[in-house]
Amino acid sequence: MGAVAVTLPSLLDPATGGVREMAASGETLREVFADLIEREPRLKPHLFNEAGELRRHVLCFHNGTNTRWLDGWDGPVADGDTVLFMQAVSGG
Amino acid sequence: MSVRLMVGTGKGGFWVTSDDRRSWKVTGPFFKGWKVTAGLRLADGRFMAAVASDIYGPAIHVSVDGEEWEQLPSGPAYAGGGDRRLREIWTLRENRGVIYAGVQDAGLFTSSDGGASWAPVTALNEHASREAWMPGAGGLCCHALLFDRNNRERMWCGISAVGVFRTDDGGATWTPKNHGVPAALEDKRHKGIGTCVHGLAQDPDDPDRIFRQDHLGMFRSSDGAENWERNEEGLEVAFGFAIVIDRASGNLFAVPLEADQYRVPLGGALQIYRSTDAGDSWHSASAGLPAADAYGTVLRGAMAVDNLEPGGVYFGTTSGTLHATADLGENWTNIPAILPRILHVSAWVG
Repeated sequence: MGAVAVTLPSLLDPATGGVREMAASGETLREVFADLIEREPRLKPHLFNEAGELRRHVLCFHNGTNTRWLDGWDGPVADGDTVLFMQAVSGG
Repeated sequence: MSVRLMVGTGKGGFWVTSDDRRSWKVTGPFFKGWKVTAGLRLADGRFMAAVASDIYGPAIHVSVDGEEWEQLPSGPAYAGGGDRRLREIWTLRENRGVIYAGVQDAGLFTSSDGGASWAPVTALNEHASREAWMPGAGGLCCHALLFDRNNRERMWCGISAVGVFRTDDGGATWTPKNHGVPAALEDKRHKGIGTCVHGLAQDPDDPDRIFRQDHLGMFRSSDGAENWERNEEGLEVAFGFAIVIDRASGNLFAVPLEADQYRVPLGGALQIYRSTDAGDSWHSASAGLPAADAYGTVLRGAMAVDNLEPGGVYFGTTSGTLHATADLGENWTNIPAILPRILHVSAWVG
């Protein structure tokens, strides 16, 4: 069971009460996401769509790797891993 | 009597308050960086605000004092597995203890426990004609809700690019009610839809008398939306979005815009039109508003009345200007602020 440090963008302050660093744990990234949402359910509609996928313009990095480049969310996580959420920036 | 406006913009919400309706104080933003798309004051006194982000989606927050806000643990949401997405909440209303949220993608949700949990109005959201609902320029949204104070089973909703629906059985079934309004986009299979309602206002003394700012003109119904007739006498142009009614006087206010690919004040003159005879005729009531070089649009949710006597009317523009009258449109003043694009204005007394 990996203990992961999750970093959230400031725009989600209204959902978290201003908390931008959270802990979450799980054997896989999928479990970490589930644990994060269990700890703060208000984050769910902002990070994931109705199909349970990351919202279109939300980026998530696991140890600096864009999770969209991963082969799913079922790879292992380890103690000390980091998960960073941020918004995709495109256009001018 | 103090008046409090909730002004929702593309980059946050603002409180605009006054004790005399002449001098105004602007505070905010709250939800900085978020669109504030709808506001409501609940019967228990709490404030409710709907927010949305193109990145992070929608949410509903509540506040006791208008300063400290708390996001509801869960808001309206479509079931997973389909293509439908809840993008924004366009209107919040409360009636007989039930909170209603009209949303985009078009649909209606209700909460009977103060917002703690929400349920879809399935008969509307899964209406047989839904396959033919096509989004307009503003998206496919349920933006207007009216209730019948004499009949708890009856209500109306307006869906952009689809039309007005009415239920007479507490939401169990819904029927399109657009007879007399030309279709903007006719569907061969489903009759009675394809009209494009932009805004609705209801006579406070006669729930069946409804005024409709439509994409294709200004209309009125005197029979609960069974039939609609044009009422455009005096209007230089009949396209627009916002329409409100003052409870005490019955005066109607609308903002005609140059149709429809332009959607700006005609000739750059920001004009409010008023009807003092229930829509029989309209005239400009725009003293004090910019008469030239004003091209900000007034969106459908960006005008409100305070229902004091004489009535105060307030509206904001997509240019971020905010305007007020304390005498039913005889004189307008500019509330000194330049805000982000204004999406929503609510007015409450006290």
